[in-house]
Amino acid sequence: MDDQACPRCKTTKYRNPSLKLMVNVCGHALCESCVELLFLKGSGSCPDCNVPLRRSNFRVQLFEDSMVEKEIDIRKRILKDFNKKEEDFATLRDYNDYLEDIESIIFNLVNNIDIINTNKKIDQYKKDNKELIMKNKAKIGREELELEEILEIEKQMEDLRRTEVLRIDQEAKKQKIREKEALIDELMFADGDAKDILNTFSQSLANKQEEIVPVSVPKVTHFSSGVKFTRGSGQQPLPIIEEGPLYKYEPLAIPDRCGPDTPSIKEIISKGYLQHVRAENETEKAGGYKSTLPCLRALQDALAGLYHTS
Amino acid sequence: MFSTSSQRKFWTFSDENELACHREKHNLEFISRHGQNLDEQQRYNYFLSPEEERLLLKQYELHLKEFCKRFQPPMPKGVIGTAFHYFKRFYLYNSSMDYHPKEILATCVYLACKVEEFNVSIGQFVANIKGDREKASDIILNNELLLMQQLNYHLTVHNPFRPVEGFLIDIKTRCSLANPERLCSGIDEFLEKVFLTDACLLYAPSQIALAAVLHAASKEQENLDSYVTDMLFRDAGPDKLAILIEAVRKIRSMVKMVESPARERVRAIEKKLDRCRNQENNPDSEIYKQRIREALDEDDVQYTGTSRMSLDTSGVTQVLSPSAS
Repeated sequence: MDDQACPRCKTTKYRNPSLKLMVNVCGHALCESCVELLFLKGSGSCPDCNVPLRRSNFRVQLFEDSMVEKEIDIRKRILKDFNKKEEDFATLRDYNDYLEDIESIIFNLVNNIDIINTNKKIDQYKKDNKELIMKNKAKIGREELELEEILEIEKQMEDLRRTEVLRIDQEAKKQKIREKEALIDELMFADGDAKDILNTFSQSLANKQEEIVPVSVPKVTHFSSGVKFTRGSGQQPLPIIEEGPLYKYEPLAIPDRCGPDTPSIKEIISKGYLQHVRAENETEKAGGYKSTLPCLRALQDALAGLYHTS
Repeated sequence: MFSTSSQRKFWTFSDENELACHREKHNLEFISRHGQNLDEQQRYNYFLSPEEERLLLKQYELHLKEFCKRFQPPMPKGVIGTAFHYFKRFYLYNSSMDYHPKEILATCVYLACKVEEFNVSIGQFVANIKGDREKASDIILNNELLLMQQLNYHLTVHNPFRPVEGFLIDIKTRCSLANPERLCSGIDEFLEKVFLTDACLLYAPSQIALAAVLHAASKEQENLDSYVTDMLFRDAGPDKLAILIEAVRKIRSMVKMVESPARERVRAIEKKLDRCRNQENNPDSEIYKQRIREALDEDDVQYTGTSRMSLDTSGVTQVLSPSAS
């Protein structure tokens, strides 16, 4: 570890124990102070390979070999898009080939082999599998959420169990002390045989232990942050609104049509008016259109106003 | 529904005399307003008489029909009917000397397109007009609000077209008339002519539609009288039937009387109109242009005007107003 040194200012871990090396996407390391100096404006180029970099992408180097860091970066980026699952393939062989492909792409990128063609390949893949990528991304998001929930439940269970055990322990301790005192009292004041007393006491102790009932654990429905689980545990009950008197429907008074009565919708259907109207097609039916309506309207318009007098 | 509509309440009149009364009143009003210093004879020579106005408007109704027929894209019949209604309604309460019919005609059609949901932009619309299109669109848009105001915002019009459909469905269902479709051409022809008469200001659209159907039937040597008496008016009673028969007879005779006015006569009237029309409403006149300019300047004038007023009347605004300090 001691030979860790910033390639730019040559500071080593030995001379500056608080030295922190940072890496960016290109995989070349820089110490923290050099980063601050070079990327004052937020962006600049790597002093080693001249690749334009952004300051926000610098992070602490975790591995001694900065190439590993670079690979992690690239792998993260590639796996974001190459997110197919085994279920997406017909055979295991296909899936294995796919994994092999990913590895070779990553390898190429890390070692700067045939970058142009590899990038082309990635773009092509992205274009071809756009929908699947989106779907899997959403799925992963969902799965992560589920996992988080499970973890949270486990954590809370764990907490409960721990407090329960603690409580029982204390209870048992107290109980023991009490029993001991009772036993001593008994031995001190009773007239019977000390052996008999000891026997009866150990008997009742054994009985009591059987009596301890497991305490039921309340169900967990919240994250520790207080956020409710979104799935599973059902919907919130609707708030009950205080209601006034019930609405009573009163049919509208139909104004004088000033003409003969029009047939009702039932009559329109039964008396064969519809034979003379264009039937609705499937699309129109989906929109709620029925040929009875225009038929009724035409008849109403025809008959209304016939009695009109000037 | 027609029986509860504004069309029945405000725009359906009892007889032709009432219509003539309205028109004459506005003709006389215009003359007395604009011809104060002329004597009777001069007035007669200078202004249009009510009869001349009628003739001119009849001619323009023919123009309206032609314009709508040639309109591209072709417009539904309802638009034409509504435009005719608007045109007739407008000149019941306005003189053609005040507002030139050629301008109101285009505005009526434009408004009818909107109301009847026949979607054309103003650009598409004026493409159907010969001459200066920019000016035409200016005129139409300037007159649109005026027209709506004069129509008292009663924009819904009940046309006889849907009632005709209703009657045809009813006849096909309840009558044994052979091939009712052959009535269609006769009906269309009749309805086209109906709009050149005042029938739509006097009768219900269903009455006009029934007249059209009966007329077309008699042209085809068919008789639908029994349909009317035994089916439509079976429960109505003889008095109502008598009213309807009279209405149908009157509508048919009105349509029969339709004739296009003599061309020379109309040309003379148009010449007269060019001189006597209200120049304030003529977009080519100096007065009109000046008024538009004033209206445009008015925004600024009004602004300074009001601020001055508030300074005079209230001490509070005086303190608050920056110009006062």
